[in-house]
Amino acid sequence: MTGRGSPSRFLTAVLHNGVGRYVRQLQRLQLLFSPTAADARGARQFVEEAAQDFARQHPDVVLYVSPHKGPGPAPVLRAEYLNGTVREELIASKTSEEIVQLATKLANQSGLDIIRIRKPFHTDNPSIQGQWHPLTNKPSILTVQGPRLQPQ
Amino acid sequence: MVVLSAARWVRSRLSDRFWRVQEVLKYARHFRGRKNRCYKLAVKSVRRAFVRSTKARREKKRFLRALWITRIEAASLEHGLKYPAFISNLLKSQVELNRKVLADLAIYEPKTFKSLAALAQRRRQEGFLAALGDGKEPEGIFSRIVHHHY
Repeated sequence: MTGRGSPSRFLTAVLHNGVGRYVRQLQRLQLLFSPTAADARGARQFVEEAAQDFARQHPDVVLYVSPHKGPGPAPVLRAEYLNGTVREELIASKTSEEIVQLATKLANQSGLDIIRIRKPFHTDNPSIQGQWHPLTNKPSILTVQGPRLQPQ
Repeated sequence: MVVLSAARWVRSRLSDRFWRVQEVLKYARHFRGRKNRCYKLAVKSVRRAFVRSTKARREKKRFLRALWITRIEAASLEHGLKYPAFISNLLKSQVELNRKVLADLAIYEPKTFKSLAALAQRRRQEGFLAALGDGKEPEGIFSRIVHHHY
């Protein structure tokens, strides 16, 4: 939890996303749950009620529904992003609305690491008038060279 | 036979000691000496590092403000004004820019900073004229106060 002890990054957009066309960074969402387990009830309700609407509202995200037979691991929502990050969120004992909210949150994220962001702003061109250098406010006779400077 | 408690000679032993130790050591990897490797030494150092990082958040604000003031002072001296004169005259001209923004302007927009310094200088002169003059000269333009009714 220290500045140098934990990783940190600067604020970026993946490949300047949004300057031109906005490309959704979420590639696919995998819903892994068991059709009989008790804590996957919210996941089953989500699949029955809200999954189609979610898929229609987010046409560039592929939604995979993968029920596995028998008792297995806890129900999980796995999000894969265009930069290869895979993020798994537990949906055990969550209601259908909460899963919809979670899926929307994952869909709006880019796949960049969720670590401390050093500054909440970033520019590629911080200076319009030219960044200060030691000769900015000095008389221009110090910088100009040429034969015209000879005393006449 | 009903057993209500485990037999006293049964011990429960840790199986994830490695990960518990790594949770602490991962914050100590950039330390110097044996405290970046040895758990007993790292525990003490990591705790102190956390405490210091908590306390330093209050001091970071003071430190950054002092840095901004140093930079504004250097920039305004380039234009022939001292820092107290610059800040007070900017405030009197109702230019309420904070030190962070002034420092960024001094670095990245030097011409804007030069015009701000000229504004402060002119307001300073008007203040002197108003105080030392006989009242025969008209009031200064930059000394006018604009009242905003919100």
